[in-house]
Amino acid sequence: MQLVPTLIQALTAVDTAGSLSLRYQYGPIFAMLGFALVVAGAVFSLATFLGPKNPTPEKLIPYESGSPTTGAKHVRLSVKFYLTALLFVVFDIEAVFLYPWAALYQSLGWQGFVEMFVFLAALSIALIYCWKKGALEWET
Amino acid sequence: MKDLLLYLLPIVILFIGGFTLMLVDAFQKEEGGLAVPTAMLHFAAAAAALALWPYAGNAADLARAQVAFNGWLAFDRTTLFLDITIALGGGLTTLLAGSYLAEHKLERGEFYTLITFASAGCMMLAGATDLIMLFIGLETLSLGVYALTGFRRTSARSQEGALKYFLLGSFAAALLLYGSALLYGMTGHTDLAGIRDALGRAVEMPAIAGQEGAAQFVAVQQTVRDRVTILAMVLVVAGLAFKVGSVPFHMWTPDAYEGAPTPATAYMAVTVKAAAFGAMLRVLIGVFGDTSGPASLAGGWPGLLVWLAVLSMLIGNLVALAQSSVKRMLAYSSIAHGGYILAAFVVAPRAESLAGGGGSVGQSAAAAVLFYLLAYTVSNVGAFGALILAGSRGKEAVSYEDLAGLGKRHPAVALALSFFVLSLAGMPPTVGFFAKYNVIRSAIEAGYPWLALAVVINSAIGVYYYLRVMVKMYMHDPQPGAVRAEPMSSPGISLTLIATAGMVLALGMMPQRFYGYALEAVKLAAAPIAAAPADAPPANAN
Amino acid sequence: MTIQISHYLILSALLFSIGAAGFLVRRNSLVALMCIELMLNAVNLTLIAFNRWMPANAGGAVPHHGHVFAFFVIAVAAAEAALGLAIVLSLYRIRKVVRTDDANLMKE
Repeated sequence: MQLVPTLIQALTAVDTAGSLSLRYQYGPIFAMLGFALVVAGAVFSLATFLGPKNPTPEKLIPYESGSPTTGAKHVRLSVKFYLTALLFVVFDIEAVFLYPWAALYQSLGWQGFVEMFVFLAALSIALIYCWKKGALEWET
Repeated sequence: MKDLLLYLLPIVILFIGGFTLMLVDAFQKEEGGLAVPTAMLHFAAAAAALALWPYAGNAADLARAQVAFNGWLAFDRTTLFLDITIALGGGLTTLLAGSYLAEHKLERGEFYTLITFASAGCMMLAGATDLIMLFIGLETLSLGVYALTGFRRTSARSQEGALKYFLLGSFAAALLLYGSALLYGMTGHTDLAGIRDALGRAVEMPAIAGQEGAAQFVAVQQTVRDRVTILAMVLVVAGLAFKVGSVPFHMWTPDAYEGAPTPATAYMAVTVKAAAFGAMLRVLIGVFGDTSGPASLAGGWPGLLVWLAVLSMLIGNLVALAQSSVKRMLAYSSIAHGGYILAAFVVAPRAESLAGGGGSVGQSAAAAVLFYLLAYTVSNVGAFGALILAGSRGKEAVSYEDLAGLGKRHPAVALALSFFVLSLAGMPPTVGFFAKYNVIRSAIEAGYPWLALAVVINSAIGVYYYLRVMVKMYMHDPQPGAVRAEPMSSPGISLTLIATAGMVLALGMMPQRFYGYALEAVKLAAAPIAAAPADAPPANAN
Repeated sequence: MTIQISHYLILSALLFSIGAAGFLVRRNSLVALMCIELMLNAVNLTLIAFNRWMPANAGGAVPHHGHVFAFFVIAVAAAEAALGLAIVLSLYRIRKVVRTDDANLMKE
């Protein structure tokens, strides 16, 4: 097994130009990927080839804590989940503007403060709108 | 700084108004009653733009404003002219919507919020001098318009139209974005003036100057930059061409137009076109209009655009001939109108450009674009308004058959529809004629007689299907037992139509005056715009 | 072999092409939506890569236009995805289809 030396070499090596080369920069990741593939593949193939196979009808039905299965396999999700998820996506993403602002809070001064609060006010109006329109009601 | 903020007034009015409308809509008990305030907002924005007109006449002020806003938005008269066109189109369609939505039991407040924000997005797009602002404006208007297209939530057609429009529109936006990203990479700038300047300079690499093989390396970099720039330009043009619905990017147009509630269709047809053509004017002529730079792209895009123009005219008109639905016919004819406007684009850089600031032919062609947009806005809003008036709940006027015999049954409605259809066809006393005349004249002046001929021939084809509307209304009787459109009675729409007809006639009676305004609007855009302070040398491609 | 800007550009061009090809070939509107997202993210990668390799200006600072652009693309993409899903859902409620081929009421 060359794996461990390769890993060590990858983690420590620096090429002649002084910057990490592609192989060494991503070496650990590739090594990890290969390791994961080998281990996972070995476990599954060992189970497939070595394990005894004796299928009976009881063994083939889906496992549901020992009791017989009931209902359809595909559960229809309520449309409420989609609505909530959509609102989450929209409001959540606005945080990308808050991080740079927070990082540069001092240097942006009052102008940045006012601008960000105009932005947040716009978001709040949108939130109030969703609220009053009933988009946040779970039980309807 | 404070006085400079005034330049933002038209957009600010619409944004604050939009948020207010949202709150009012959220807290009011009953739906409805928002149409007139929304229209007033639009007219207030138009009035603000009109009031700013004299101030935007001073090149020094403009440059100051440009620097103060880091080159995000232009405050020149081109922007103001487009702002007025957009606000006028938005306000008039809102007035139509007020009666239409009440009649068809669709009255929900979000229509007005969406239209207000979309108009603000249109103005941002029309004034954008930075790729980031261009993208935000484009998406603000697009998201609003997608939602408006799908506004009839119980109608499968409306949802289908919205889905197609959304998918193709987002695809187009992605193309435009990729083009923008490449332009940014090649020049280090996102502002249009900076991109233009950077492309005007040859690639320089001081870091390796004097080393062995440096000259060859720089030459390769130059070639790479030129080619990538052409690719970026094609992507940006494709993205904008999608928005204006020109062939071959027109597939969404008829479905979206047919599916949308009619006032939203009118809105899409006029304001989105005005904004997108405005952005095209700035990008193509402002950035790529340079005829002398090392990346001599002015030779590139007119050759591309001429195909779009001719195909849009031809396919738009020929398919419009075959339609049985008047709404779809208007959709295809809007593609053809887009073609006429593109023809003026092709002409513009031939004799110098806005950016070059010299030739009068380039300016007259750019002014022809602006004038055409204004003329098309008033004529088209009128035509859709008359079509709305011709139908009522459950008896909408959609197909030619619905209109049969309307001239006898309801002469006033038929007269209104005929009038606006004649303007769209380009009949002399109306503004439609002068709009086409300007395009044809600038094409001939710039030495494109065959393009002028194409416009003339296509207008002739257009006259056929526009006249068919009148023939149906006045010379045919409805089929026995067929559902016939029953006009609704709406003083609001009637008043809007009278106002619109007044504008069509006024523009038609004094075309020189308004064309003069358009010419003034493009002249000052020639003033050099200061590049953003953050200046970077051209990037290395590798 | 060091990682250079060209690697990022080739990767993002590939992602963009995969997204565009998927959009044009696949007929499921949800897949089309995902393809558009892929294209937008390819653009983000392009922007960030260009900005990373952007030479400093005279003042010694590197302008962050590319990063700012990418932020706006992210925000707009989220809004776009939300609206797109809403439209797909709304159509599904009426027609019970998500395939773009089945959205054919207006075929002539």
